[in-house]
Amino acid sequence: MNIQAVIVNGQKIIPSLEFDAQKRKVVGIQTNVQRKKILLTQLAEHPDTYLSTVDQGEYMRLTVEELLRFMKNISGHGKPVGVMLKEFQLEEQKRMKIAHLTSSKKAYLSQLRIFYAKQQTIVIEEPYFQLEEQERMLFARMLQELSEDKRVIIMTANLEDALISCDEIYRLDDAGLHLLDIAESENEPPVPVEIEETDLKVQKIPTKKNDKVILFNPPEIDYIESVNSMALVHVGGETYNCALTLAELEERLQHFGFFRCHRSYIVNLQKVRELVTWTKNSYSLRLTTGQDSIVPLSRTKLAELKKLLNI
Amino acid sequence: MNVSVKRIQAILIKDYKEFSRNYAISVMIVFPLLFALLYRSEGSDQAVMYAFVMNFSLAMLTSFVQACLIAEEKERNTLRSLMMTPASMLDVLIGKSSLVFIISAAVLAISTYLFGFDTSNILVLIAGLALSILLYTAIGTICGLYSKSLIEASLAVFPVLIIFTMGPFALVFEEDYPIVKVLNYLPSSQLSELMVALETGAATSELTSPLVIIAIWTVALTVISFVLYKKRLKDY
Repeated sequence: MNIQAVIVNGQKIIPSLEFDAQKRKVVGIQTNVQRKKILLTQLAEHPDTYLSTVDQGEYMRLTVEELLRFMKNISGHGKPVGVMLKEFQLEEQKRMKIAHLTSSKKAYLSQLRIFYAKQQTIVIEEPYFQLEEQERMLFARMLQELSEDKRVIIMTANLEDALISCDEIYRLDDAGLHLLDIAESENEPPVPVEIEETDLKVQKIPTKKNDKVILFNPPEIDYIESVNSMALVHVGGETYNCALTLAELEERLQHFGFFRCHRSYIVNLQKVRELVTWTKNSYSLRLTTGQDSIVPLSRTKLAELKKLLNI
Repeated sequence: MNVSVKRIQAILIKDYKEFSRNYAISVMIVFPLLFALLYRSEGSDQAVMYAFVMNFSLAMLTSFVQACLIAEEKERNTLRSLMMTPASMLDVLIGKSSLVFIISAAVLAISTYLFGFDTSNILVLIAGLALSILLYTAIGTICGLYSKSLIEASLAVFPVLIIFTMGPFALVFEEDYPIVKVLNYLPSSQLSELMVALETGAATSELTSPLVIIAIWTVALTVISFVLYKKRLKDY
């Protein structure tokens, strides 16, 4: 499917994209709320696409069973209501009015409409945001089954939600879609060790989020800070934990144009836009990524930086 | 737009359940019956009162319920997910309208029985009322389309109630203000005339003119409501 470029106030929000969702794969797109809304409005125009949004309402006065019967009749779905109730694990609540369900169950029930959809492409906005643990697991499992014969796309602002059930996750920013390199942590426990053994041959920085190991190319990284002796990698406004120490990271990244600008900061010099002088002895680096990403620069490092940049 | 009886039925059943459980709306059923009992009178000259009860019931029940059904669907954002299903907009509109028609027909029949109206020609009476129900359903649709929530819908019905129900009574000022004559052509005035003619047992020729005027109103407003419905919901 094609997405047109969107420009707001002279700033490019989304470049034009061509995007192919495949069957047998749940694809996640992680981006900020603004881009998500724009993308959803564009996707709504696509033919043969079912859109499940967070603000869709429900017929509160119907019972669960009545709603499923209504969905069955209106969509011409084949399976009997009893079977669907069992599949959705809603048998206990079948005589309950929807208004009386918990908010997690309500959101879950509302999202179940996708299983009645005739369309080949299913787009779900924030499927896990309002769900509790039990419904999350159920929904993730059913989504996996659904992806066998439908193209399933999950839109979320939260990477952790995408990690629950996506086989492929893309990050969307003003440059376009980037495939995130995700590996299950059980499969590759010795990632950091491996890198040390191969002695800088591997150019990826391993980070962890939700028990998954995410590998970043060094140029993707904006900066790294150390908080409570833990390295936090900042990429496109999100943070990821890294098991390496700042000293190790500095050593590994210096060939990629990274610079230790402060005792607890390493910055990607490719992304530095401005050297801000607050007072005679206090400096900061402003990055290209946004107005508020500012990295401190210590006085002692200033001379070194000036030498490096030939100023 | 394809129309399927099965889907219309599904919408009708769903709306019936929602309607019967929402007491703020379903309480409207009681008013026509209550009015019929209150204003029932023996002997002659009951036609004008009977017409008032019917006109009031049509606005208060038919238009109000239809407007609320459409507005509530919009308010809760369920219309959008309904549009994602194979159900067409026409399915939704016909499903809702037929529910409103069935409820109105039943309630008007019972209140006619309670009122004890004697008519010379029951078929013409039924035709007049059936056309009026369709007409007020179309008005309800238009009100519902222009309101975003239930509260707005119940307010939007009030001008209809005042103009259509009170119109015939303004005819008292006909001699002072000739402009008021226009109100003669309101469907409610015509319904009133029809009933007076029915009570006195007038000839068929006298009965046709009010029926034709009501039919013209019905066709015109139904067409308008369909066009508006398509237009308003396209960019929704």
